[in-house]
Amino acid sequence: MTSLPAYIARRLILLIFVLLGVSLLIFAITTLIPIEIRAMLYVRNVQHTSPQQLIEIAKKRGLDRPIHEQFFAWLSEVLQGNLGFSKFSQQPVADAILERWPYTFEIVLFAAPLIIFIGIFLGVQAAIHKDGLIDHACRVLSIIGWSLPSFWLGLLLLSVFSGYLHWVSPGPLDTNLLQFRNNPSSGFIRYTKIDLFDGLLNGRPDITLNVIQHAILPVIVIVTINVALLIRVMRSSMLEALNKPYTVAARAKGLDDKTVIYKHARRNALIPVVTLSGMLVAGLLGGLVITETVFGFGGLGQWAANAALQLDVPAVLGYALLSAFLFVIANLIVDILYAYIDPRIRLV
Amino acid sequence: MDLSAKWKELKVSWQPRIKEWKFMLKRIRESPLALIGIAIIIGFVIIACLAPVLAPPQAGWDPFMLRPDKDLAILTPDPTPPTTRHIFGTTAEKFDIYYGCIWGTINAFRVGLIVVAIALVIGVVLGTVAAYYGGLIDEILMRFTDIIIALPGLVLAMALVIAFPTAIPLNITLIILVVSAVLSIYFAAFKPQRKYLLPNQIILLISLFLYLTNPIVIGLNMSKLDKVLISLAIVGWPGYARLIRGEVLRVKNEDYVEAAKASGCSDLRIIIKHILPNTVYPLLIVVTLDIGSIVLTAAALSFLGIGADPNFADWGNIISMSRTWISSPELLVRHYYTFLIPGIFISLFVLGWNLLGDALRDILDPMIRRR
Repeated sequence: MTSLPAYIARRLILLIFVLLGVSLLIFAITTLIPIEIRAMLYVRNVQHTSPQQLIEIAKKRGLDRPIHEQFFAWLSEVLQGNLGFSKFSQQPVADAILERWPYTFEIVLFAAPLIIFIGIFLGVQAAIHKDGLIDHACRVLSIIGWSLPSFWLGLLLLSVFSGYLHWVSPGPLDTNLLQFRNNPSSGFIRYTKIDLFDGLLNGRPDITLNVIQHAILPVIVIVTINVALLIRVMRSSMLEALNKPYTVAARAKGLDDKTVIYKHARRNALIPVVTLSGMLVAGLLGGLVITETVFGFGGLGQWAANAALQLDVPAVLGYALLSAFLFVIANLIVDILYAYIDPRIRLV
Repeated sequence: MDLSAKWKELKVSWQPRIKEWKFMLKRIRESPLALIGIAIIIGFVIIACLAPVLAPPQAGWDPFMLRPDKDLAILTPDPTPPTTRHIFGTTAEKFDIYYGCIWGTINAFRVGLIVVAIALVIGVVLGTVAAYYGGLIDEILMRFTDIIIALPGLVLAMALVIAFPTAIPLNITLIILVVSAVLSIYFAAFKPQRKYLLPNQIILLISLFLYLTNPIVIGLNMSKLDKVLISLAIVGWPGYARLIRGEVLRVKNEDYVEAAKASGCSDLRIIIKHILPNTVYPLLIVVTLDIGSIVLTAAALSFLGIGADPNFADWGNIISMSRTWISSPELLVRHYYTFLIPGIFISLFVLGWNLLGDALRDILDPMIRRR
C-alpha cells in the first residue's frame, strides 16, 4: 500500500502527461486548418489583405514550419505563462478565460448541488420503493429529461418565461444593472469579479438577486438534463448495498428501517456517486457551450464556441487545456476522497 | 456425414444461444418501457421508409436538400406560420418545416448508425488488441483514450469539424505500405502466421516502390455532414475501446480460453470465436444508448451552425435558424413553430433509443436479470 503523498505525486506527474497529450492532440487538429486561414489571426483588416500577403505573414509567423517545431514554440510560451492572444475577443487568452469564468461559475454554483442532492435523494427513494410508483416515475421522468436536446429545452423556457411572461431577460444581468456595474463612476467595486458575491459586498443585494433570477432558467435546463445519470447510478448502487450481508446483519440486529437505510446502506452506496459527481462538476465548470449560447450568458462555454467558429487557434487551445486540467484534477480529488470515505480502498 | 446429421449438430450447438435469445425476447415483451421505445423507433423507421410518399421531393432535385418556396419568398423576410400549404410552417428562408422533419428522420438514422458503426469497429479492434496483448500496446492505447476522454466531447467535435479540410488527399500507396509493414511485423512475431510473411513482404516492396516513384493519390471530397460523422466517431471510439478492453480482460483468463489456446487455436480465432461473443450484451446496451446521444450531439453541432450544410434536411439545422431571435425572446414566441416541432422529433427519436437501451440494461445485466 502506497502512502497518500506518494500517490498524489504520481498522479500529478500523470496529469502533466495527459495535459501534454491533450495540447498535442488539439494542436495537431489545428494544423489541419490551411495556413492562409490561420494567418488571418495576425491581420487587422482581412478584406484588404491579398492571399499572397497572407502566405507571407504565415511564413513570417512560422506557420509553415514542421508541426513539432510549432508545437514546442507554443509550449515554451505556455510554460512561461503566456497562453497567447485571442484575436476575436481582442485580449490575451488567459484574461479572456478569467473574465468569462465567473458567469459559468454562477450557473454551476446552483446547478451542481441541485443535481447532486436531487440525484441522491431520488435515487435512494427509487431504490427503497423498487418497482413501486416512485421508482417508475423517477425512471420515466429522468429518461425523458435526459433525451431532451439542451438547446431546445432552453429555447422553450426562454420563449415562455422571457418572451411570453416577461419574467426575466436573457443574459447574465438586467441591462441597466449591467451598465451600472460596468460604469467606473458608480462606485461599484468588482472584488471577486463574480456578480453574485460582488452585489452583496457592495451592499447591493438587488444585483445578487438579479443574478439568481437570471440563473434560474439555465440551471433548470442543466439539472433536467444531467440529473438522470445520477439518479440511475444512485439507485443501482443503493439496491446493491441493500442486498449486502452487512445490511442484512444490521436488520437482524433489530435496527429500525431508517437507520439501516440512511446510516448503513446509503453511506456505502455513495461511493460511485462521488466519482460521477466529480466528473459532472468538472464537465460543468469546463463550460456549458449550448446552454450559455442559448441564454446569452457570456460564460466560458459560449466564448469557446465563438472562438472555435472564428478559428481562433490560441483561444481553442487554451480552453481545451483548461477543461482537460479541470477533468484530471477532479479525478484526483475524487480518488483522494475515496480513501477518506472508505479506508478499505487501497491506492494503487 | 449426411445433411440431416449436420443440421442436427448445428441445432444442438445453437440451442443455448436460441434459448438465451428467447429468454431475452420474453423479458422485452414484459417490459412496457422497452415496448414503448421499440414502438417509437419503429414509428421513425416507417416515417423514414415512407418519406418519398409523405413528403414527395421535386423531380430532379436532391431530396435531402431543402429548397425555398419561391411563391412565398417575395412576401416577407419572416418565417411563415403553419398553413394548409405548409402544415408546420416555414423557416425564415421559406424552407418547408414538414419536409425537413420527414427527411431529417432519414438523416438522424444515418448519423446515429454510421457514427456508432465506425466508432464500434475502431473501439472493438483497438480495445481487443490492448487487452489481449497487454504491455506497451495496452499502455499507449489506453493513455490515448485518456486524452480524448479528458476533453469535453462537444468541444473536441467542434474543433475537428472546423479544422477538417473539405478535400483530403488520400495516398493509397502509403496506406498499403503502412498496413503491410505492420502486418509483416505481426506475422514475423507469431509463428503460426509465418506462411503469410512472404506474400506480404512482396506487397510491401511493391507498395514501397510505387510510393517512391508514382504514388496513387485520390482526393476524398467530404461534405459538411461527412465531417460531422467522422468527428463524432473520433470522439466516440475511446468509450467502446475501454468497455471492450475491460470485458476482454475479464474473460481472457477463463478456462475455456485457456483450453482453446491449448488446443492450438490462433489468436484471431480465440478473439473472434471465444472472447468477443461474451462482450455482445454490454455492447448492445451502450450502442443503443449511444445512438440517441450521438444524434443529440450532431443536432447540437447543427444548432451552433457547424453541422450539416444550412439547407440540408436535418432537425438541428431547422432549429438553428431560431438562433437569431435568442436576444429578443418576443420573436421567439412569435416564431415558435420553427423550433417546437423539429425539437419534438429530436426528443422522441432520442427518447425511443434511450428507453430501449435503459430497458435492455435491466434485461441483460447478469447481476440482476434472473431475480
